[in-house]
Amino acid sequence: MAVSFEYVAKETATNLWRNRMMALAAILTVAVSLSLVGTALLLRQAVNRQIGQWSNNVSLQIFMDAGATSTQVTSVRSTIAQTPQITRCSYLDHAQSYAQAKQVLAGSPTAIAALTPATTPTVFKCQLKSPGDAATVATTFNSGVPGVYQATSPSQSIRVMQQVTNVLQLILLVIAIVLLVSSLVLILNAIRMAIFARRREVGVMKLVGATNWFIRVPFMLEGLVQGVLGALAAVVIVLLSNIGVSYLIRHYKVSVLGSAVLPVHDLVVTELVVVLIGVVVGVAGSSVAVRRFLDV
Amino acid sequence: MIRFDNVTKSYKNLRPALDDISLEIQKGEFVFLVGSSGSGKTTFLKLLLREEVPDSGTVWVAGRDIGELSQWRVPYLRRNLGCIFQDFRLLPNKTVTENVAFALEVIGRPRTVVRTQVAQVLDLVGLGEKGDRIPEELSGGEQQRVAVARAFVNRPLVLLADEPTGNLDPATTQGIMKLLDRINRTGTTVVMATHDVGIVDTMRRRVVQLDQGRLVRDQARGVYGFGEDMTVSSRGVPAISVAGAADAGYDAAGDPLTGRVATVRARRGTR
Repeated sequence: MAVSFEYVAKETATNLWRNRMMALAAILTVAVSLSLVGTALLLRQAVNRQIGQWSNNVSLQIFMDAGATSTQVTSVRSTIAQTPQITRCSYLDHAQSYAQAKQVLAGSPTAIAALTPATTPTVFKCQLKSPGDAATVATTFNSGVPGVYQATSPSQSIRVMQQVTNVLQLILLVIAIVLLVSSLVLILNAIRMAIFARRREVGVMKLVGATNWFIRVPFMLEGLVQGVLGALAAVVIVLLSNIGVSYLIRHYKVSVLGSAVLPVHDLVVTELVVVLIGVVVGVAGSSVAVRRFLDV
Repeated sequence: MIRFDNVTKSYKNLRPALDDISLEIQKGEFVFLVGSSGSGKTTFLKLLLREEVPDSGTVWVAGRDIGELSQWRVPYLRRNLGCIFQDFRLLPNKTVTENVAFALEVIGRPRTVVRTQVAQVLDLVGLGEKGDRIPEELSGGEQQRVAVARAFVNRPLVLLADEPTGNLDPATTQGIMKLLDRINRTGTTVVMATHDVGIVDTMRRRVVQLDQGRLVRDQARGVYGFGEDMTVSSRGVPAISVAGAADAGYDAAGDPLTGRVATVRARRGTR
């Protein structure tokens, strides 16, 4: 087996080198399309996180004064209970609220440093029967209820932003899919040329009884390598652009966009998806080529 | 070793390339397959390799009905069949040794086995000294020896040769035939399709003649000509011994070229 592993590795490398311009074209197309896929995925996550943080699936947030007394909190709670437009509410105490603030302000460490659990306002997060009532209900709580610092509702602009990003994301994904298809075709063509260049060897192999998989594997592997190399390039591009965006957000202290800075976990998952798509495209392209042009 | 039972094979829109062929070849036999172009010789060999499947009838190789083989087992069939061709089919960018070793490497033989077997077989074909050359640097005869080495290195049960001397001059041809004869003596069955009257007349081995896909002659110690007016034997039993004419050919056997002339004269004589 050692012999055949060495053989396969050698054959694949030789093929790639002999066909290097073709391979490069395929790899670059994979890289560009997967960069777009990665960017679209990250954009979606960033926007969702940010909007989620802003609205948090809650139509109304009632922030208490940091120093509000427990009687004041109880009285606000009963007012909420008497408001028919509110369906459900949850209360975040100082510790919970502080934890949330740290998430929201992830992009601006200085702002977090200024907070302690005691100075973080507690908050009621409420859901309304209809989002349209948000403004009216907010006004009631903002009109001098003791202990209430501010009641806020997600503004119309968030919804607009959500729609814009949805469209942007769709456009990115469509371009990415078109490019993925073209990279698949390029890989297919590269493998086809490799098969053509090695038709003598293939003929001899068939003659002396090499198994079909033995003949196919180097070509399949060639496609896989092209897909993976393209994907790795895309991983680097996505990583760099993510670092760039995070840097801009931090550098200009755009703390409202703090949540758009993605945690490592999300980034890793996205990059894995990108690599996986690269593998799939490479294997699919070469499989089709091997099936159609290598009659064994 | 090889048996054809009522094998018929047609390609599109043509008369059958092989028409109801039945014959048996024993282990260790040396059989010439003769006939004009398009008579079905190549189809015969392709059926043995399972490059083609018969429309009807059965092809047996080493006791197996090869029509029954599933696609993934075909390579294992081919490991038992060595093949050589008129155009050698060597890999131009590999050395002689690499060309021969390739045949073993691609069926997954261990490196030590490859090394010893390749050296052995190159000695057998008389190219022990030229292992590092590339095919381009060799003469046609030497290239065909490399091809024979490649076909034989895995010790196949059967050696199939499709016009192996078609590109070679008579003297070189003789060398190749001696080599094939030697391989045949090791117990390997040899089936050789050829146009070369001289070889067939010289070697005096079994001759199977095809004409337009039909088996028209099967003779145990035949010569090239004489096909038309002879009855067909079944299953490799010699139909007719061609006493006078064949002897005339045999006398001149030392030189295939004059041998051919002698046979032609002898043929005219009998008529």
